[in-house]
Amino acid sequence: MKRILGTLAWTGVSVLGAAALAGIALRRGEPVNSIWLVLAAACVFAVGYRFYSKFIAAHLMALDATRATPAERFRNGHDFEPTNKWILFGHHFAAIAGPGPLVGPVLAAQFGYLPGTLWIIAGAVFAGAVQDFVILFASVRRDGKSLGEMARNEIGKVGGFTALLTLLLIMVILLAVIGLVVVNALRASPWGTFTIAATMPIAVFMGVYLRFLRPGKVLECSVIGFVLVMAAIFGGQAVAASPALAPVFTLSGAALAVAIIGYGFLASALPVWLLLAPRDYLSTFVKLGVVLMLAAGILLVRPGLELPALTRFTDGSGPIFAGKIFPFCFITIACGAVSGFHSLIASGTTPKMIACERHARPIGYGSMLLEGFVAVMAMVAACVLQPGVYFAVNSPAGIAGATPAAAAATISSWGFPVTAEQMAALAREVGEKTLFARTGGAPSLALGMAQIFAKTGGGRAIIAFWYHFAIMFEALFILTLIDAGTRVGRFMLQDLLGHVWKPAGRTSWMPGVLGTSAAIVLAWGYFLYQGVLDPLGGINSLWPLFGIANQLLAAVALCVATTIVLKMRGLKYTWVTGVPLAWLVIVTFTAGWQKIFSPLPRVGFLAHAALLDRGARTAESARLAFNDRLDAVVCGLFVVLVAAILADSIRVWAGILRGARDVRVTEAPYMASHLRPEEI
Amino acid sequence: MKTLARAAALLVAVLRELADESAYRRHLKAHGVPHSGDEWRRFCDERLLAKYTRPKCC
Repeated sequence: MKRILGTLAWTGVSVLGAAALAGIALRRGEPVNSIWLVLAAACVFAVGYRFYSKFIAAHLMALDATRATPAERFRNGHDFEPTNKWILFGHHFAAIAGPGPLVGPVLAAQFGYLPGTLWIIAGAVFAGAVQDFVILFASVRRDGKSLGEMARNEIGKVGGFTALLTLLLIMVILLAVIGLVVVNALRASPWGTFTIAATMPIAVFMGVYLRFLRPGKVLECSVIGFVLVMAAIFGGQAVAASPALAPVFTLSGAALAVAIIGYGFLASALPVWLLLAPRDYLSTFVKLGVVLMLAAGILLVRPGLELPALTRFTDGSGPIFAGKIFPFCFITIACGAVSGFHSLIASGTTPKMIACERHARPIGYGSMLLEGFVAVMAMVAACVLQPGVYFAVNSPAGIAGATPAAAAATISSWGFPVTAEQMAALAREVGEKTLFARTGGAPSLALGMAQIFAKTGGGRAIIAFWYHFAIMFEALFILTLIDAGTRVGRFMLQDLLGHVWKPAGRTSWMPGVLGTSAAIVLAWGYFLYQGVLDPLGGINSLWPLFGIANQLLAAVALCVATTIVLKMRGLKYTWVTGVPLAWLVIVTFTAGWQKIFSPLPRVGFLAHAALLDRGARTAESARLAFNDRLDAVVCGLFVVLVAAILADSIRVWAGILRGARDVRVTEAPYMASHLRPEEI
Repeated sequence: MKTLARAAALLVAVLRELADESAYRRHLKAHGVPHSGDEWRRFCDERLLAKYTRPKCC
């Protein structure tokens, strides 16, 4: 009876999911309610989790609940500690959820809501969650080893070294692009700039409070920090209205970029307890709280989607970034569908805390599905905006037009009516001077979120507060990522340099620390600054570069996963990781090729540089042409590095299949678990 | 009511884990030492140093 009921229930969920998907895919010319997107994602994710992840757990991994995990075998009360499944789920989700799943879908909405939503749903179930799950499992079976160590052990030394170098380059592009998102959100916004500037002394106060006044009281300190940040948002409104203070906090893009670069250097060199750690605690709690609020808001308000299923920009002529749906939709939405960075978390802290192998399924596979859900919510937040407003906010001045009237006329000519007066009224309503050309995704996401939050209570009277609350939330955790990323980049560079010259690798040697910090900051700072000066908005070139890099890292992780699966189970189940790997290789290599060699100047870096060379030679055109060529080199380097790992993997796979290579997996030997049920 | 209380307890436990408060409690237990400002600072220095050498997700 129970079995029959279960079958009926899952059949119902599947039918509902299929109906919701059909509804959002086939309905044209009439408004679609956002609840259909949520329902489609919820049903498909539920079916994917129940059946696909169970299949992987049973047939591919043969998860063994009796086997002791590294958390039990190396238990030390620090890194290795058996942890409750749901606590670790929350911990892992907080670690994988960054700005990517929020910003990517907002940018991809230029194609309409349909392509991005379908990619998020399918990508999360068949690629992203599979990658996270398999890498987590592999790391648990290998004493909690990192992705780089597993690449070295399973594929070879070339793979390990290349993975480290690829990661360092990705960090540089990642930090530049997220820095650009913050710059574009705060440009000429005294309210936003004051609020974010205030988070720095607040974080320092929290650091001192935690270290000397109330040691160990992190939650208490975070509540105080949150109250102070809320006060800073209200203070920002007063600052923006003050004739004396507003100009002080009204900064140009270039000034903000310099401030963020300086901040990144300081934050990476200062003691972590003073600024980075307290802000990290605060931003983690705010991030989780806002994600829950957004989910509740969408369920309560059930807003209608204003953007169509497909826009005219599916032809590749989009103003936000150029290029057709294939491959560019699939690299624009990386986190939310499949993100290489997750493999670093899945082979970092989490495998050292898993109490039982079976927990890898909800934590590895389930957390990624939840992140996919966050991406769908971000898509909803972008698509509740009127299309004219969405494109006015996200289109760079270099494409839409430098004046409000020109931009409104251009955007209206694309078939998305908007007026300069309408945009001015909206800007006044949210306490901004202008909302034209606020590229990067953060301002439009904040606008969409503010509209949803305002409808849950308070109405449009407090929409300005919600807009700046959303900006604060985005900027807070992006800046935390910049602090931490610069620091990690510094450690990676020191690790690499240490092989050449020993003192450079010592993390306690101050000249080495300062030198490598400066090198990393200058590297991402250069791309950030050039992005700010770019008349096409910077995001147009940097986000695809970041998307390609992140998906290439996922390809590296899936190379490792496929090698492990091949060694464990032979050819039979390699399609589980092999198919998403093949897809990512096709997508990223195509995108990389098009970004470098496309003859269309809006798509290809080299074609754009050649176009600039053919025009009147000015210092600006020479700088832009140089940057295009540099972007082409970086993009080519990513592709070549990953091609090297792929070739190395194929060599290993061929050896295994021919029987010429050792197929023994490098797992830790079996040891029975002695954990009591209450410890699991 | 019982389910709600259990959910609230779980939420607090997740927050404590994210805040490193649970890790600190484990640290005190593992080393058999009482809580003090010096012990918290020692724990923080070790934990944060390890935490911020690992990449954060985008």
